[in-house]
Amino acid sequence: MHSKQRRLFIKHSLTCAAAYPCALFNSKSLYAAWSALDFRTDPYADILKRLFNARSIIDSELLKISLPQTAENGAVVPITVSSDLDNIQRLYILVEKNPTPLAAAFTLSSELAVYLTARIKMAESCHVVVIAEQEGELLRNRQWVNVVLGGCGGG
Amino acid sequence: MSSIKIRTQQLEDATEIRLLITHPMENGRNRDPVSGALIPAHFIQELNIQLNDAPLVAIDMAGSIAKNPYFSFRLKNPPAGARLKVAWLDNLQLSDSAEHLID
Repeated sequence: MHSKQRRLFIKHSLTCAAAYPCALFNSKSLYAAWSALDFRTDPYADILKRLFNARSIIDSELLKISLPQTAENGAVVPITVSSDLDNIQRLYILVEKNPTPLAAAFTLSSELAVYLTARIKMAESCHVVVIAEQEGELLRNRQWVNVVLGGCGGG
Repeated sequence: MSSIKIRTQQLEDATEIRLLITHPMENGRNRDPVSGALIPAHFIQELNIQLNDAPLVAIDMAGSIAKNPYFSFRLKNPPAGARLKVAWLDNLQLSDSAEHLID
C-alpha cells in the first residue's frame, strides 16, 4: 500500500470509527480493510450513498462490462469487466436487487491490465452496476440481466 | 490440500492469472433442505494477491460472490520467474494461502 493510500485509509477508518463507534467493537482490528458497513444488507441506494457519498458518477461506455442477457441460474453469473483506461485504482461490482448489493470491491495495482472476471450471485432480474474510480473520477456502466432461477438465498 | 488453485497462462500481450478457491460462500439466508434450519453465514471477506511480495489485487467481498469463487486477472508485463501469493480470510477467521511461480 502506498503511503498516500495508507494515510487516506487511516483517515477514512478514523472517520468511520467516529461515526459508528459500535463498528469498532465488531471489527477484529481497526485496520482491517473489510468494512461490514459496505457489505450490509441494505437497499442499493443506501449502499451507493455510503460508498460514494454525494460524489457525482459519470456513465461511461469506456468501462466495458459483459454479462449474459439471461442467467439460467442466479447462483453463478459470470461477469467480465474491461477497459482501455489506465489508472483505474478501484472497481466495485454491485447487484441492484441483491439483499447485499455490493458483491465485490477490487483494489488494483498498475501492474494489471483492466480485464477481470468473477462469478456473482443474483437473487432476481435486475441491473448489474460496475463503478470504477479513475484518478478521483467515478465512472459507471450497467447491464440488465434476466435471472430465471434466483441464486440460492440470493447474494 | 490447499483450497486455492492458481493457474497462469501466457497470452499475446499479457499473462492471465486464474484463481479457483474452494469455499461455501454462504450468505446466511439459505436453509438446510432437510432440517429447514438457517445455514450460518460463512464467506470470504478478503482475498489478497501479491506479486513478488508487493500488493497486486485486494478484493473485499461477501456472500454475493458465487460459491467456490473464481477470478481471473491480466498482468501486463510479468517479470520472469515472478512469484504470486494468494491469501484469503473469511468471516469465521479461517484463512488459507498458496504460492505460484509464473514460468
